[in-house]
Amino acid sequence: MIEFFAEMDIIYKIGLAVAFIAIIVAFSAIVRQKDEIHLLIIIDLIEITGLVVIALLATDLAEALILPGLVVGVAEIMAVSELWLVKEGLQNVRPVRRLDIEVLHTAPPIIGALLTAYGIFLTGFTGGLIAGLGLALFFLGKATTENFLSSETASGYAWVLWVLAFLIFIFFPSQWFLALMAAAVGIMIKVMAKIALVGTMRGDGS
Amino acid sequence: MKEVQEAKDCPAKKARGTFAPFQKLSCYLSTIENLPKLYAICVCLIIVFGLCSVPFISYEEDQLYPKSLDPSSSLDPYDRGGVPFTEPAVIIAQYPENAPAIGYVTAYLTPLSQFLADYTFHLGTTIVAHPGGILDEILYYTRGFDTIVEASILFCAFAIAAFLYRRSKE
Amino acid sequence: MMESILVTIPFGDMIHYLSGYTGVLFGFAAVFVLLAVISLPEKPVEIVFGTDGYSLKETPVDLAKFQRFMAIACGIATIGAIVTGDIFNFTLFAAFIGVLNIGIVAAVKNKHVLSAAFSYGLVVMMGTVPLFAGAAIIAATTGTLSIWELAAAGGVPVIAKLLLLIGVLGEGMAPFYIGKAEITRASGAPYILMIHVSSLLLFLRVVEILLTV
Repeated sequence: MIEFFAEMDIIYKIGLAVAFIAIIVAFSAIVRQKDEIHLLIIIDLIEITGLVVIALLATDLAEALILPGLVVGVAEIMAVSELWLVKEGLQNVRPVRRLDIEVLHTAPPIIGALLTAYGIFLTGFTGGLIAGLGLALFFLGKATTENFLSSETASGYAWVLWVLAFLIFIFFPSQWFLALMAAAVGIMIKVMAKIALVGTMRGDGS
Repeated sequence: MKEVQEAKDCPAKKARGTFAPFQKLSCYLSTIENLPKLYAICVCLIIVFGLCSVPFISYEEDQLYPKSLDPSSSLDPYDRGGVPFTEPAVIIAQYPENAPAIGYVTAYLTPLSQFLADYTFHLGTTIVAHPGGILDEILYYTRGFDTIVEASILFCAFAIAAFLYRRSKE
Repeated sequence: MMESILVTIPFGDMIHYLSGYTGVLFGFAAVFVLLAVISLPEKPVEIVFGTDGYSLKETPVDLAKFQRFMAIACGIATIGAIVTGDIFNFTLFAAFIGVLNIGIVAAVKNKHVLSAAFSYGLVVMMGTVPLFAGAAIIAATTGTLSIWELAAAGGVPVIAKLLLLIGVLGEGMAPFYIGKAEITRASGAPYILMIHVSSLLLFLRVVEILLTV
């Protein structure tokens, strides 16, 4: 066993000072920047500095808090960037033309299926991420956007599954194994559907 | 470009009259594009104050969910002890009395991860990908409500983005 | 302030509670959620300039549905922020309210409204940094996130309190934009009310937390 908290106080102080300096640098960039899209990108980046302060906790709790923090950042950039597109009237302006080469017809389904299978095998958050990447790759290789609504609905059901798992944990603690599996499958479907959604959201005017 | 700038300016500036400092300030404040910058300046000022107060901030040694490292274990950074289904791991939670089944989720390993843990030394780097483990204990059980709120944020943000996107396709 | 507790709801590491003060806030939020559930979007009247003529603007059904969903969710998030007994959970609810406030106005097809909503969105995204930083500093310096423990032990550094306050200020900044932009003239007016309600209650709640810890 390594003694982990040796001199933790002084490490924390140094780390906090560095994190604060990083926040000052990041926020002063916003004061100087005038272009809106660059503002959006910078603000997406400065959310990392908030996560740095959480990470300084250096416990298992910190890791568990970083995850919601990260997800909040991702969710906000998703909504605000779509809002920016509407505001600037950039939706459907330039149809994205797919690169029409042989490898884009054959490779995405195979790699996508492999990644999806591996992700389902792993389950949980990372599994959802990998499976979602596989689906996103698959949809990027295809020209159509037909599965848009269904993946949205799937993520809704996954959310319900997750809430149910939490309720089982709270009210029937003896059934923790069932709840754990429900939560793992729920989060996998949820993350997978979200990532796959990104694959189908493209600017093509078809 | 000049027209855009003029549209953003407030009436007082267009009139080109004499400028009182307060008028200038209210002119700046009433332009909504300036509010993010104003907010950034406020945060900067507070953080500068925080930087000055760093020597007076002390780290509390008595933390919840402390981390321990054991390089000889195959679950290295996430080894919290316990045997799946039989012996729960020892977890320092905020209110252990509210979580009767605490420790079981931490101790659980799926058959695959049990196999990897027995034969390799690399499971610790991937344990977050399996159901079970300390992070799942915190995320699903003891602080499960956080995760539900987080999932709802993601859900609503995607609902906004999807609504705006779908409407553009109609 | 922790003496007058009416109800406690334990959820693992978090014990949500209602005191006399937050109970009033809870009732207020609940009334506005009910209003959003039962009311129909009102039709803004446009007067034709120089004449007696006027026209009614209809709100499209899908827009009204979307705004209603966002308004109800915003009310529920506000209730969550009011009852929560955990600092980090509170910051998550604050961020949730920020996202939903964007959602209520984002669907309106009006350039002024959209540009105000985008500008507000930037502030919401920035606001999460001081919120999470404040919660993390509280956890690091006191070793707990529970408002109950903090009320008993105290010792929260001033900087953490200031960060929480400025973070909530960012998430609840929407009414500033309404003062200037045409958000209040956007169609679907009863749902827009929820922006004011959520910001007001968020401020009242953060003041209670900062006085307690």
